Amino acid sequence: MSSGGAAPAAAETWTRSLARKRRALYISSPIGLGHAQRDVAIAAELRKLHPDLEIDWLAQHPVTAVLEAHGERIHPLSAELASESAHITAESSEHDLNAFQAIRRMDEILIANFMVFHDAVETGEYDLVIGDEAWDVDHFLHENPELKRTAFAWMTDFVGWLPMPAGGEREAFLTADYNAEMIEHVERFPRIRDRAIFVGEPDDIVPDDFGPGMPAIRDWTERHYAFSGYVTGFDPSPLIERREELRRELGFQPDEQVVIVAVGGSGVGEALLRRVIASYPDAVRRVNGLRMIAVAGPRIDPAVLGAPPEVEVRRFVPDLFRHLAACDLAVVQGGLTTTMELAAARRPFLYFPLRNHFEQNRHVRHRLERYRAGRYMDYDASPPEVIAGAIAEELARPIRSLPVESDGAARAAALIAPLI
Amino acid sequence: MAHAPDSGPATRPADSRSMEQSRARYPDETGVIERDGVHVAWERYGDGSPTLLLMPTWSIIHSRHWKGQIPYLARHFRVVTFDGRGNGRSDRPTNAAAYDDTEFAADAIAVLDATGTGRAIMAGLSMGAGYVLQTAVRYPDRVAGAIFVGSSVGLADPIPRPGIVPFDEVPPTFDGWARYGAAGWRHDWPAFVEFFFSQVFNERHSTKQIEDAVDWASDTDAETIITAEGSAYLSPLQPAAEWEPVGAEPESPASSERESAALGYTWRVRCPSLVIHGDADVISGVSGGRRLAAALGAQLIILAGSGHDPLGRDPVKVNLAMRTFIEQIGRNLR
Repeated sequence: MSSGGAAPAAAETWTRSLARKRRALYISSPIGLGHAQRDVAIAAELRKLHPDLEIDWLAQHPVTAVLEAHGERIHPLSAELASESAHITAESSEHDLNAFQAIRRMDEILIANFMVFHDAVETGEYDLVIGDEAWDVDHFLHENPELKRTAFAWMTDFVGWLPMPAGGEREAFLTADYNAEMIEHVERFPRIRDRAIFVGEPDDIVPDDFGPGMPAIRDWTERHYAFSGYVTGFDPSPLIERREELRRELGFQPDEQVVIVAVGGSGVGEALLRRVIASYPDAVRRVNGLRMIAVAGPRIDPAVLGAPPEVEVRRFVPDLFRHLAACDLAVVQGGLTTTMELAAARRPFLYFPLRNHFEQNRHVRHRLERYRAGRYMDYDASPPEVIAGAIAEELARPIRSLPVESDGAARAAALIAPLI
Repeated sequence: MAHAPDSGPATRPADSRSMEQSRARYPDETGVIERDGVHVAWERYGDGSPTLLLMPTWSIIHSRHWKGQIPYLARHFRVVTFDGRGNGRSDRPTNAAAYDDTEFAADAIAVLDATGTGRAIMAGLSMGAGYVLQTAVRYPDRVAGAIFVGSSVGLADPIPRPGIVPFDEVPPTFDGWARYGAAGWRHDWPAFVEFFFSQVFNERHSTKQIEDAVDWASDTDAETIITAEGSAYLSPLQPAAEWEPVGAEPESPASSERESAALGYTWRVRCPSLVIHGDADVISGVSGGRRLAAALGAQLIILAGSGHDPLGRDPVKVNLAMRTFIEQIGRNLR
């Protein structure tokens, strides 16, 4: 048809099936910092199995920073995603985050982001969606199963919403109700999750039930998931073998006992940082050669921490993980990624789960205890002198934690690869 | 189809309600219109086309009841919302007539004027469907399309409500539907609200939707809603030349005065329309949605198993249905 001089409409292209490249859309949760690293590692392993695989990422800050550093391709609709990490920060207060309620109160964001996801896959150009704790995608595909356009691989490192004591009867009811809906979804629509991967081993699953009269989480998860082992996102062995060299590079002296205090990038950690710093005078009396380095991060003003001159307060450490791998003891919050990085590097550490954070207090703690890694600390029961005592005890104790597997990314990729 | 109320033990502790939860998208522009001394607050999201005006519903809740739709639709179209009189950031007038549906319709037009909008597609939930109907009849040049979700416009078969008493009478006990009325609202507003929204969201696993609505209802109070109860809503239309279409009114198939009044509006609607209704709706039965669609010659989408508020409970389906309808009209508007 002649256009008669008018601009022609944009051409539509349809590609015959066997002329198509393998394409995946990868969704990496921005809650916590751990997913990006492990997802990049899994993507790399997946490419070894499917060299022609093209991966686009539907992701938001801070995940996009990691992806860009690795030269990964970010889907343009990523810019339309509503910020989950800003919401989580807004829900946090001093060393406190009710993680269940925070995710519940993220419902509007989850709907909005599912709609962005739907727009991204609507045209049918992807063969596979990989969702690492992509709660929106998993939940709303189960709510709207007719919208499934691709194979779907679902990953998580915990199964089961668990109530915290402060939430009382109401929170116990709500977590059980959320678990019940999830179970009904999965059992009614087994076709939604073509592969469900638990990032860990069966022993990492908490010994709890989903709620009163409901299945044991471990039994149910073993029936509905495959297991990849933990995915560190890096190989810890060179860091362990080269630790003395690393210490020299970082300027740690042989007679120093270096304690690093790191509380993540948000402002939630200020109270913990302040309290650990306050333990320094007591700790230095107990430990010869104690050197304390506190990492404030971008949102905490070092000037407000009340640190004595002997405590080094750094705003930013460019490669925190190398510092953690080289230190003698770390003091951290209870997030899975940081604590498991320390476990993988075989470093002793004290960890303080955020108050009311069911994942940190129950799921992560259970896993760390399985590895015999780290020492659980209750923030409310740990005044500075208790922290000083724990620092001294842990520095004096031999390493007894179990090694962390380093093949998790390859195992996860091997579970996903047959879908594409 | 309806399930037992499933709201569980008392809702969350009062202190956790102090802060509005993060929105997925914040308005690009906000403003307030004033009519006869009453201030009505509006929000605009996005710059696309056409414009979609998301209408208020019963003043027991405010414009956040569109929270599942705004972020998606604003990515594709231009979205305007306003808080109905009696809740949210709008005033709470103390005379019943200020809550007449004609006032809501006039507010809608004032908001269109304030946002520089000529015509809009209008959508309403429950009583909001009546506000859309009233606006479409009185201001046909401003309404390019109409979407009616869980409509309560007097066309549904009555649903038995055990224990309910006439609005101004005092029931023997305050329990269940007996809470519905001036005495029950004054007696314990939060308890009524909790009960009512457990009926609105009667699908299992609706705790969050119920909590949200209870939260929004705490932004107004019993006296305001009792005042509003005395207002006019879809009163029988008197002939008025400026909004009479050509031709005679068809013979009414109505079986009641309320139905007859509602049909007096529907046959005057000239724009394309979409009706969405859950068949497990125990507030306004699905028969009302069916009759409304038939009277309007509208596209009808029945949501099987859904209750009264699919905006909140089945947002993905509703969003996609709305987008398809709006795009069809949008093409015709160009």
